[in-house]
Amino acid sequence: MSQAANSVDLPPAPPPPDEPPWHRLNPLVLIIHPLRELIRYIPVLVGLFFFGRSGDTQQWISLTVVVALVLRGVLHWATARYRITGEQVELRSGVVFRKARTVPRDRLRTVDITAEWHHRLVGLCALKIGTGQRDKGLILDGVTRSTAERLRTELLRRPSAERPRTPASAVTSPAEEVLASMDRRWVRFAPFTFSGVAVVGALAGAAYQIARELHVDPVSLGPLRQLATWASDTSAVLVVPAGVLALLVIVTAASVLGYVLSYWNFLVTREGSGTLHIRHGLLTTRSVSIEESRLRGVQIKEALPLRLVGGGRCAAVVTGLRTGRGDERGGGLLLPAAPLGKAHEVAARVLRETNDPTTAGLRRHPKAAARRRVIRALGWALLLVVASWLGGLVDAVPSWLPGATLVLLPLSVLVGLDRYRSLGHTLAGGYLVSRHGSLTRHTVALRGDGIIGWRLHASFFQRRAGLMTVVATTAAGRGGCHVTDMAAAEAVPLVGAAMPGLVEQFVEPTAQR
Amino acid sequence: MTGIGLRAPRQTVSRRAIPYWTVRALLGWLVLAGVQCFLLVVRRGPFGAHSPAVLSVTLAVTIVLAIAHLLVMPRWRFRVHRWEITPTAVYTQSGWFDQEWRIAPISRIQTVDTERGPLEQLFGLAKVTVTTASAAGPLHIKVLDTQTAQRVAEDLAAAAGLGGGDAT
Repeated sequence: MSQAANSVDLPPAPPPPDEPPWHRLNPLVLIIHPLRELIRYIPVLVGLFFFGRSGDTQQWISLTVVVALVLRGVLHWATARYRITGEQVELRSGVVFRKARTVPRDRLRTVDITAEWHHRLVGLCALKIGTGQRDKGLILDGVTRSTAERLRTELLRRPSAERPRTPASAVTSPAEEVLASMDRRWVRFAPFTFSGVAVVGALAGAAYQIARELHVDPVSLGPLRQLATWASDTSAVLVVPAGVLALLVIVTAASVLGYVLSYWNFLVTREGSGTLHIRHGLLTTRSVSIEESRLRGVQIKEALPLRLVGGGRCAAVVTGLRTGRGDERGGGLLLPAAPLGKAHEVAARVLRETNDPTTAGLRRHPKAAARRRVIRALGWALLLVVASWLGGLVDAVPSWLPGATLVLLPLSVLVGLDRYRSLGHTLAGGYLVSRHGSLTRHTVALRGDGIIGWRLHASFFQRRAGLMTVVATTAAGRGGCHVTDMAAAEAVPLVGAAMPGLVEQFVEPTAQR
Repeated sequence: MTGIGLRAPRQTVSRRAIPYWTVRALLGWLVLAGVQCFLLVVRRGPFGAHSPAVLSVTLAVTIVLAIAHLLVMPRWRFRVHRWEITPTAVYTQSGWFDQEWRIAPISRIQTVDTERGPLEQLFGLAKVTVTTASAAGPLHIKVLDTQTAQRVAEDLAAAAGLGGGDAT
């Protein structure tokens, strides 16, 4: 990976305060973006030029798309100009459709610097400025690493009075404090995440795509054909375990590889200015800066296999970053799969607490909630059983499938009961803590001052069972912290305790406590 | 009475909400019943010339359900839908079969919008939407008469002092 490009296109140092100059993106993006598109569409191109199927309209459409994408990249570079003034960041681009995007600096929440492999070939990266609202951010794709670092520091240095809440000591010592760093032994937790499944799925999809573009039937290839013949000749008793074993090996390998590539040098630090800085990645490097004053809490996530081996992950709940599925991409990850104790330790350090609030003892939910969890889980399983049985009637699925799906019924009861066991909530040290989920258990700790409203939901059946779902809404993450199926009678006291002075005015005079 | 220790919000929605909800639901039911009538009478579509007897049964069930829904839902809903604005908070109660209560502090309000769909305009109704910075927490005060909606939106915007801070 080259550093040679660092001297190219360094915008002149501090611009004059009256009229900051406009900067362009680095011209090297003109090389790497077409390169990326070409590599992405190699199967199409190979099919086009070597197999000479010129009459295939689909391939021509694909090629047109490639050309259009490359052209768009060139036009974007040629027209894009950005600048940073005292109040805002501006990006203008486009010829036909002129776009001007302005992000006020006081709305700026996160700075995300990503360098994918094609960026790293020439020492560039993409800098993304997040505002907390979806699609309101701004991306500078194609600045040198040093420019990106400089912009990051400049953007996160707040110009005015709104200082992050940092103790005086932290302000005086500008050094970075390491909150979490990768221990290479943690790679043993990688097979217990679900990440490998997605990777294998994506690879299989890509392989299928290539095969289709080349008009190759995968089953006609040598080794695969042998495999297919073997599988159809051997009895299912042997094939199914062998298949499962093979899949497990592949998924494990993919999980470990993915873990190493993503997190080998994972590092979370706190900078003196009150910024959390998360860095990771071997091939694609990622650097996410989150202003500490935007932090609203933490979340501990334990996938079921990971939970069984005592592991967990930790993510930040931040205004402007999504949480939940895919939040690793969103950048809020504070610790990848690691020993659970470490995850709690990082959570406590990030929140500046002595103890991680997610370790607080939780108040269990009423027994009626268990029935609801089990019925829901059973409902899904029953749906699958009925669907496969109907499929069996019209010979759309293998004959053994309807029988095999019956296994789902007891499993779903177990999952339902475990989901109930997970349910719980409490108010601890100024945090609302709530837990739910079985296949992935989530424990969220949301800071009381991060709550900006309440939703109390009771379906007809919940009302009959005396239950209620309470959602503390927040600007962070997916928008709320759910307390599912708590006792309805405890809901209002919970809201009152978490946010004094709000709900009291609506309490029934007779029920005043 | 909400049965959870909260009292109901003080304000009711417009009386015209009942005919409005009835007509809106009726339109949906008409589509559903219309498709079945078409299949039954025209003898085309997936069943060809032989519309199965089951179709007349589903049509009858659809009509019975529709009548029950149209009689019960709007009145039940009218009794549930309520709202209240105090100097410090907005409080709404909505739903019928499933019910929901939403509370937001005035200080966290980001935007206040009024909205009128075509059917709502016909009945002289409007909806006020109060958003906070949360993706999960907008409050809707539905089916107010237009003047009330206008007044509520103005009052709320003034009370929230929209402008200062970013309310996260």
